[in-house]
Amino acid sequence: MAEHLILKNGVVFDPMNGIDGEVMDICISDGKIVEKAPANAKAVDLKGNAVMAGGVDPHSHIIGSKLNVARVTSPEVNRHHPYPATSKTRSGVAGIIPSSFATGFLYSAMGYTTVVEPALPATKALGSWEEIEDIPGLDIGLLPLFCNSMITFKYVEEGDIGGLAAYIAWTLKKVGGLGVKVVNPGGTYAWAYGKNVCGLDDEVPEWDVTPRSIMTGIAQAVQDLGLPHQMHFHPTNLGRPGNVHTTMQQLDAIKSVKPSGKKKEVVHLTHMAFDCLGVVEEGMANWKDVASGGLIFADYYNKNKHFTTDLGQITFGQSMTMTGDGPFQHSLYLLTGGKAKWSNIPVDVELPGGAGIVPFTFEPKSPANAVQWVGSLEFALSIKDLWRLFLSTDHPNGGPFLKYPLLISWLMSKRQRDIWLEMVHKFAVERSTIANIEREYSLNDIAITTRAAPAKILGMDKTKGHLGVGADADVAVYGFNPEKTDLGKNPDLILKHFAQAQFTFKGGVQVSKNGIVAKQIHSRVHTTHPKLNEALSARIDRELEEMMSKWFSHSFSNYPVPARYREHLEIPRVIDSTSVQA
Amino acid sequence: MTEVGNTFKDIVCTFCGCLCDDIIIEVDGEKIVKNTNGCAISKERFVGHMENRCLQPTVKGNPVTLEKAIQRAVEIIASSKRLLIYGLSSTENDAQREAYRLAEITGSVVDNTTSVCHGPTILGAQESGETTAALAEVRHRADLVIYWGANPAAAHPRHIPHYIRQPGEYIKDPKKDRQIWLVDVRETTTTRMVDRFLKINPATDLEVIQTLRALIRGTKLDVTEVGGIDIKELEEIATAMKTAKYGVLFFGLGLTQSWGRHRNIDAAIRLIQDLNAHTKWGLMPMRGHYNVSGANKTSTWVTGYPYAIDFARGYPRFSPGEYTAVDMLARGEPDAMLNIAADPVAHFPRAAVAHLASIPVINIDPKFNMTSQLAEVNIPAAIAGIECDGAATRMDGLPLYLKKVIDPPDGVIPDRDILRMMIKSLEKVMK
Repeated sequence: MAEHLILKNGVVFDPMNGIDGEVMDICISDGKIVEKAPANAKAVDLKGNAVMAGGVDPHSHIIGSKLNVARVTSPEVNRHHPYPATSKTRSGVAGIIPSSFATGFLYSAMGYTTVVEPALPATKALGSWEEIEDIPGLDIGLLPLFCNSMITFKYVEEGDIGGLAAYIAWTLKKVGGLGVKVVNPGGTYAWAYGKNVCGLDDEVPEWDVTPRSIMTGIAQAVQDLGLPHQMHFHPTNLGRPGNVHTTMQQLDAIKSVKPSGKKKEVVHLTHMAFDCLGVVEEGMANWKDVASGGLIFADYYNKNKHFTTDLGQITFGQSMTMTGDGPFQHSLYLLTGGKAKWSNIPVDVELPGGAGIVPFTFEPKSPANAVQWVGSLEFALSIKDLWRLFLSTDHPNGGPFLKYPLLISWLMSKRQRDIWLEMVHKFAVERSTIANIEREYSLNDIAITTRAAPAKILGMDKTKGHLGVGADADVAVYGFNPEKTDLGKNPDLILKHFAQAQFTFKGGVQVSKNGIVAKQIHSRVHTTHPKLNEALSARIDRELEEMMSKWFSHSFSNYPVPARYREHLEIPRVIDSTSVQA
Repeated sequence: MTEVGNTFKDIVCTFCGCLCDDIIIEVDGEKIVKNTNGCAISKERFVGHMENRCLQPTVKGNPVTLEKAIQRAVEIIASSKRLLIYGLSSTENDAQREAYRLAEITGSVVDNTTSVCHGPTILGAQESGETTAALAEVRHRADLVIYWGANPAAAHPRHIPHYIRQPGEYIKDPKKDRQIWLVDVRETTTTRMVDRFLKINPATDLEVIQTLRALIRGTKLDVTEVGGIDIKELEEIATAMKTAKYGVLFFGLGLTQSWGRHRNIDAAIRLIQDLNAHTKWGLMPMRGHYNVSGANKTSTWVTGYPYAIDFARGYPRFSPGEYTAVDMLARGEPDAMLNIAADPVAHFPRAAVAHLASIPVINIDPKFNMTSQLAEVNIPAAIAGIECDGAATRMDGLPLYLKKVIDPPDGVIPDRDILRMMIKSLEKVMK
């Protein structure tokens, strides 16, 4: 039951509509932002508060079996972080991998209203929909993985991009996906053989495909379908010193993909902090010689407009690494001398070889960790166009999403960076240019990189990431007066206010106040339903039944997520993909 | 739709953790008449679904209406200071989720049957992680499959014939290209189905596993035999494991509940992790109750923990040995118990059952079991996957949708709805 509201006198930051710190009223009716609220609207005086659209996080691992394996194998990370029940809200745990209810509440408390789970093994989608039932207060999207599937390989091998596109369209509809995720294309498959890939043209066991043909094939299929979100891409060679060069090679390879929609970008490179490590001059590609790749990559970013990215910032302290990149996770386990608790989850044909999980602590005094920390900050502070970037910690890989206020403080406050540079290993200064960077993000810059840009990157900018008429009434109010508060000089205030929004409204419903969530509302799930032409649709039904019956261990008819788990949550967006040829 | 007349295809069998989903069920009027593809147990479960049914709610043995039974149950729960909620592994996910809600509002302990089956598996994984496997991948790739302390021929009858002794994409001939071995302390019905049987002495699992780890690491051991097996044979086994292309270790309660318990599993996980330095290996517990994996899963996403959870402080705390059902009962701690889809009286040790006999027990189950004999309140439930729908999780983590093929008996409703009625009534009482 959405209310009619007028949020009065707040200082509004709405970069999508060109509003940078203006005092104005926001009118809300039936869950939407409207020109004028009905006469019976309730007025809320927000004088002296900052107002932004609800936060949008397109890359945060909050759903799926990998989370559960991590929670089960590491109960100690949640043991001291209880989240008590109230008469209106459910209980849980709130450590670095919070339980489902707590996940929703913690996001609401920070002013976030849209979160995308970026790694869905499609065969396990039913479980994800069940989990969403218990994650309140958010708009959610799921990105199924297509990168190491034998079905993808078959179409790529045959150069059949139409078939590949149809397989993607079919899967998005049947399991309820928003977009397409690619993780270490070919590498996770090779992990079923105990191997990995690193070069663009490396062989993938048993198949005549390469990382290059898989990544360009899928990126093209996404464009041909006209999906709102470009291919969401975790490259090969994750977490290897010097990988900034191979990452740029991969992005270069994807340049050949023709954009088909309104957007120029054909790929989203995710968690660049893990993909863009440099090495010192004359150095070797090892951790001893690691250097920031931030400046090199910022230069590439400034010159090449065909991609977007997010930070995947590491934030120090305990984290939980989890990726669909099985061989990377194994190498991380080896890096701990085989001491870490290493988990590996193969998920049948979608992800042979599997995802991996390794608990990891990023130490400020570790030279390697300090360099990785500084690289992504150096990048973020050196790029020109913030509309192709969003802030993330790749929760819970670089640290939990609860550390976003800390990340914001590093970007907004030179003083905060200087304090931290004192605490971390000296290589952070010696192997980057961070100490010389004076730039501080403005509140407008933060509104871009935590709301407007991520909504655009997801292709959801009609209703998300802004406060213009027609947008969903997702609003975050922060309890400081931007006209009187110098956040750059007071980084502690950044930590305080961005951790606890004064108010969070989701779809016009006030879900939290002063960081305390007092309302538990169902989340909604945004999905994309590409409509294929009849010939292609008939063909893909036939071909998938044949392949899935042969390759899957369960029945073809039991693959889709039944309507009973979806219809009360799902907001499908039908797109016209009939131009993809059979 | 898969329904053709009165025939239902691709039905999931809700007996064991295999969740075979290729079952064809034929219904004639109000009776299930045929189960095609299912094992003997599956056939009995479907065709015999009406046998031994509890059809009438009772309080102290007297027939009552469902509402009266719920009312008495709510009285017991509301007046209890330390309620134990237990079972949940033979029901679908939504019923489990309602049970956690009930535990939360009443400040109770909720535990599932994991604590008496693969609880040690989870404790082992908390030491070392979990390098799991998936059944399709095993079928396509595994050239060496080892069962350890498991007897699938009896407990998971189609595990070998349906998932393992089948051709896969890269294993064309499952008899020639794939070796199936069995490690156990005695010959079982599975022995006849495997290519090699290794009989080890009871209570030596840990030694044998650690020996294999040492041999795989290239250590020479100055012994002639371990666990009753000649060291030469163990060396040969270690070499075979290292040189397999893709190996998988399925283990049962013979490993988790025998001498060494979670230490056995910890060692087995480390063995598999060590092997991944040489080739590809995974392991998988042979989960018994059809949805015990689901119970761990739902419990974990809702509370953060897989079993043994106390809500007394208004938030979940996890402590196996403390909040596990057997330990609580043996200490005489609970003053009431709500049992859902399990039979603790049949399976728990004497001291635990003795305490159960002294407290009010509410029992929700489709059938009469030993716990119903002792329960003050018995409430019949519909059988998930036959008489109502739901979701469950296969032993390798794959979620599957359970379909309804026939109406439940008159007046009998799903576990989740019984629990929702209790919660609704409790919320009024507790206001």
